[in-house]
Amino acid sequence: MQPHEWMLEDTPQTLWIEKKGMMIWLAEVFGALGGGLYLVGLFFNNFPGMFSGWIIVAGLKTVFHFAHLGRPFRFWRLIRRPGSSWLARGLVFVTLFIAFGAAQLALSYWLPGTPVEMIAKVIAGIAAFLVTTYAGLVMNCVRGIPLWNSGLLPLLFLSSGLLGGLALLLVLGLSGDHADSKMILSGFRWLLLINAFLITIYLLGVTYSGPVGERSVGKLTHGRAASVLWLGVLFFGIAIPLAISFSDYYGGGVSAIWLIVASACTLAGVFSFNYCLLKGANYGPLIQ
Amino acid sequence: MARWSMVIDLRKCIGCYSCVVTCKQDHFLPPGTFWNRLLTIEAGEYPQVTRQVYPVLCNHCKEAPCVKVCPSGASRKRVDGLVVIDADQCVGCTYCVIACPYQQRTIHENSMKEYFPGQGLTELEEIGKKLYPLEEGTTVKCNFCAERIDAGLSIGLSPGVDREATPGCVNNCPVKARHFGDLDDPVSNVSILIRRRSGFQLRPEFGTNPSVYYVS
Repeated sequence: MQPHEWMLEDTPQTLWIEKKGMMIWLAEVFGALGGGLYLVGLFFNNFPGMFSGWIIVAGLKTVFHFAHLGRPFRFWRLIRRPGSSWLARGLVFVTLFIAFGAAQLALSYWLPGTPVEMIAKVIAGIAAFLVTTYAGLVMNCVRGIPLWNSGLLPLLFLSSGLLGGLALLLVLGLSGDHADSKMILSGFRWLLLINAFLITIYLLGVTYSGPVGERSVGKLTHGRAASVLWLGVLFFGIAIPLAISFSDYYGGGVSAIWLIVASACTLAGVFSFNYCLLKGANYGPLIQ
Repeated sequence: MARWSMVIDLRKCIGCYSCVVTCKQDHFLPPGTFWNRLLTIEAGEYPQVTRQVYPVLCNHCKEAPCVKVCPSGASRKRVDGLVVIDADQCVGCTYCVIACPYQQRTIHENSMKEYFPGQGLTELEEIGKKLYPLEEGTTVKCNFCAERIDAGLSIGLSPGVDREATPGCVNNCPVKARHFGDLDDPVSNVSILIRRRSGFQLRPEFGTNPSVYYVS
C-alpha cells in the first residue's frame, strides 16, 4: 500500500499480525488449543490431556500476551474494566482457568472424586470454554473490520479449539484405552466436517456483508493469504485429516503414524486459519 | 456542559498541510506519527476531474469504540466530550488502535527515532522530549489540544473564539477552513455551520457519532 492510498483504499490490519503482532496470533491460537484440549481431556477424563491444555494456556498463551504488551509490567491493569472490554474479561477467564484448573488437576491426582474436585472441575471447565471462545468476541466487536464483525467468529474459535484439542488428544492417547481412541476419532471426524461447514458459512456471510467484506474474502481466496487458506486451512487442515479419519472408519483402522500425520495437519490448519483471520482483515475506506 | 466539536469546511480547504505540520510541531511528534492527516481523492474522468481534500483526525466520538474496549481505563471520555488517553494507565495492548474504525490512533514505539537518522536528535526534538514527553509502548492520538482548552478555560477564555484556548490546527489554517466550538450550544459557530450547510460525519454507519463534522 502506498502512503497516499491509506484509508482511501482497503487498508490492511497489520498491528496484530506483523512484527510484534505475531505474539497476538500465537496467543490466540494457543488459547484456543489449550482451552480446547482441556475441555476434551475433561470429557474423556484424560489427565495428560487436561494437564497439557492447562500448560498451554498458563505457559504459552500468557507468555505471548505478555510479550505483546507495550508496557508488560502493567499487565495487572488489564483486569480493570471487565464491564465493557472483552480483553479485560479474557484476562479474568484466563486467571480463573489457571487457578481452578490447577486446583482441579491437583485434586484429581490426590483427592479424585471428591465434591471439592467436582466443583473445581465445573468451574475450570466453564473457564476453559470461555478461554477458548473469548478471542472471537474480542475480534467480533471491532466494527471497522468486516471480516471480524461476524457472529460466527466465537463459534469458529470454539470449534477450531476443540478440533485442535482432539487432534492433540489423539496423539497423547495413542497408548491409551482402545475404546477412548475410537470415540476420539469419531469426534475428530465430526468436528472436521462441522469446522469445514462453519468456515464455508462464515466466508459466505462475510462476502455478503458488504463490498469491504467481499474484498477481504477475495484477498483470502486469491490474494496474499490465498496459499495459507487453500493449503494450510483447507488441504492440510481439513482434507488430509478427513481422508485419514475416513480411511480409519471404512478401512478398519490406520497406523499410529497416520494418526500423527492427521494430528499435525489439523494443528497446521488451526494455526493457518487464525493467521488468515488476522492477515485478511481490512479496514474499509474512510471516504467513499 | 460543553461538547467540543470541530467543523471542517471542505470547500475552503486547499490541502496546504498547515494543520498537519502545526500539530506535529506543537506536540513534537516523532517521525511516522500523525495526529492530523490529509486524504486526497480524485474523482471523475478527464476533462471533468475534481480533487477533494479531507483533513482527518481523531473524531472524539460520542460513542467511542476505543473507550469501550480499553481494558485498563486509560482511554476515557471527558465530560466535555474529549477522548483522552492517560499514558500512565495505558498498558499498550493496542486493542484501541485496532478498534478505531477511523484508524486515528498510533502506538508510540521508539522515543529516540530521529527525523535525521544517524545525526542525533535536533534541538527541537530534544526540547520536545522534555516539554511533551510521550511514553514508549503506549497509544497516542489527537486530544483537540486539551491542554490549550483547559488552560484557556481556567482564565475565562472561550475555545473556538480565543486563539489561546483553541486547537493549533484551527488557529493555523490560512483559509479558516476549521472551526471549533461547543456542539451543545445551538448558537455556537459550529452548530450554526452544521445546520446551515448540512454538516456530515465520516462513516456514520459505525454508530460512533463523531464530534468532527464536514461541510462542503
